[in-house]
Amino acid sequence: MASLTLSPAEQDYITRGIEKGFRGDGRGGLDRREVTLRTNMISQANGSARCRTGYLGIGTDVLVGIKAEVCSWKPGEPEDRGTIVCNVECSPSAAQEFEGRGAEELNVELTQLLDRILNGPQSGIDLTKLCIIPKQDYWVLHVDALVLDVKGSIVDTLMWATRAALLSSKRPKVVVESMKDEDGNVHSEFDVVDDAEDQVALEGAENLPLTVTFNQIGKRYVVDASEQEEAVTQARLTVAVSPQTEICAVQKGGLMRGFPPSLLSEILQTARRIAREEFARFNDIFTAASTADAADEPSTGSTFLGAF
Amino acid sequence: MSTNVVDRRRVNGPARSVEPVYASTETADPFAEGREDGRALDQVRPIFMKTGPLSAQESELSSSATASAASGSAFYEQGKIRVSCAVYGPRQGRKSNARMGSFDCDFRYAPFSCSWKRRSHVKAADEKEISLMLEHAIAPAIRVEAYPKACIDAFVTVIESDGRAATIAAAINCISAALADAGIEMYDSVAGCSMGLRGSQWVADCTQAEEDVSSCSALLAFMPSADEITYILQHGKSTPEQTDQAVQTCTNLCTRVYAVICRYLQSSLE
Repeated sequence: MASLTLSPAEQDYITRGIEKGFRGDGRGGLDRREVTLRTNMISQANGSARCRTGYLGIGTDVLVGIKAEVCSWKPGEPEDRGTIVCNVECSPSAAQEFEGRGAEELNVELTQLLDRILNGPQSGIDLTKLCIIPKQDYWVLHVDALVLDVKGSIVDTLMWATRAALLSSKRPKVVVESMKDEDGNVHSEFDVVDDAEDQVALEGAENLPLTVTFNQIGKRYVVDASEQEEAVTQARLTVAVSPQTEICAVQKGGLMRGFPPSLLSEILQTARRIAREEFARFNDIFTAASTADAADEPSTGSTFLGAF
Repeated sequence: MSTNVVDRRRVNGPARSVEPVYASTETADPFAEGREDGRALDQVRPIFMKTGPLSAQESELSSSATASAASGSAFYEQGKIRVSCAVYGPRQGRKSNARMGSFDCDFRYAPFSCSWKRRSHVKAADEKEISLMLEHAIAPAIRVEAYPKACIDAFVTVIESDGRAATIAAAINCISAALADAGIEMYDSVAGCSMGLRGSQWVADCTQAEEDVSSCSALLAFMPSADEITYILQHGKSTPEQTDQAVQTCTNLCTRVYAVICRYLQSSLE
């Protein structure tokens, strides 16, 4: 996605390697890089996560913060549900071309992709539970993602971080009181319980999908492409898969080529298989991250140094 | 008439009345009786197209200088959807040292084009994204290596829309025709098609009303002669089998739409 300029010789080397089944970092075609995850390190947010895909502390790095806000209902909006508002921003610290308005296109693409996955029944999150009083007040979940470093496969890392952040999110409890006036009309009011102990998790967050992005290089395709591999990618296909291995979203990217229909159905099958492994891996890493104490983290390259 | 005079010769109804409650006629499948406009499930709306409306000599509108400057243009109608596209280029690219040409697309809804709300003049996030989607869908068809240092720009205006995904599909077809009109070198024309999932059935080319009740929508752009899917977008939950089925049906429909585009382009040369 971020444009890395490679010489034709380098491009050829990577392409032919992948066609023969070799990748620069020794992975197989459908293997993923190491993932590092930390959750709930932003105290001001309702939930947060930072995820990095890559080896030895270098890799795509995404930070996601969730903020829950109460919003009043306006005519024309859905009556009985809350919404999720997504925003993805690529930091200029990640790549030089993101400076100024350079990241605008990528921001829009990622924001809309995230919105398409999260905002609807396919996300698994029960949006009707985010409604406080129908036609009056509802919760808005702001999902704000900051891409801190780009080393290939942004979408998958973004989705890992978002899923972890939403799973670790808690919103304040609200108490709704309804009163009847003399005309028989019901008036409802609500109070936000201002107690850190008394918070509720988001319902249905465990059904959130994960994405698998395939990059077509030469005659083969690979998963979790590195920065160099993305530079020679001809077409990209992102598939969002739910824990029940249903397909929640499909999106193609890449300007160079398309997929033949037969390859597409093969990729969809592979996506489900990979997603199944991904969910198992996510659960392991997420449980470890949410139970880990910041003090007793091992000081290896695979943890986040310094920040937070 | 005075209100306290009561007509005693007739039976007077009560002063206030309420609508009777009818037994529910709703069936499990609200679409069992077929589609509103009588189409088959896999039938797209009738297509009308014309190339060169913005640069044609016979058109009275051609006096507008900006419009006739386009290298190629097309007008596309599919049911209520009306899309126009102007293609400029190949012209001087922004990157002067590029080995390959670039294709840029600018997609806009006219302020009055949507039924649900007035569109703002400021480019919205979804318009930016659709511009990107169109670039991704069309660019694989263009022989960019034939245009070093050059760029090709397509400006798409939606005059009327009916169904989000269907409008994007119409835009793809419209750009294809406009690119052909401009004489841009391409591997193949791209045809677009959209579908919505209703219950467990895929319905082709959904109108806005149909799209509102469908649980999943799919959009596909396909180059039939090259046998290549240049773009796919699915929004909503489906089983893998359903996605497979959507891809299959959409490619078939794209082939049919492609035939319409090709037939028109051929006849426009005669």
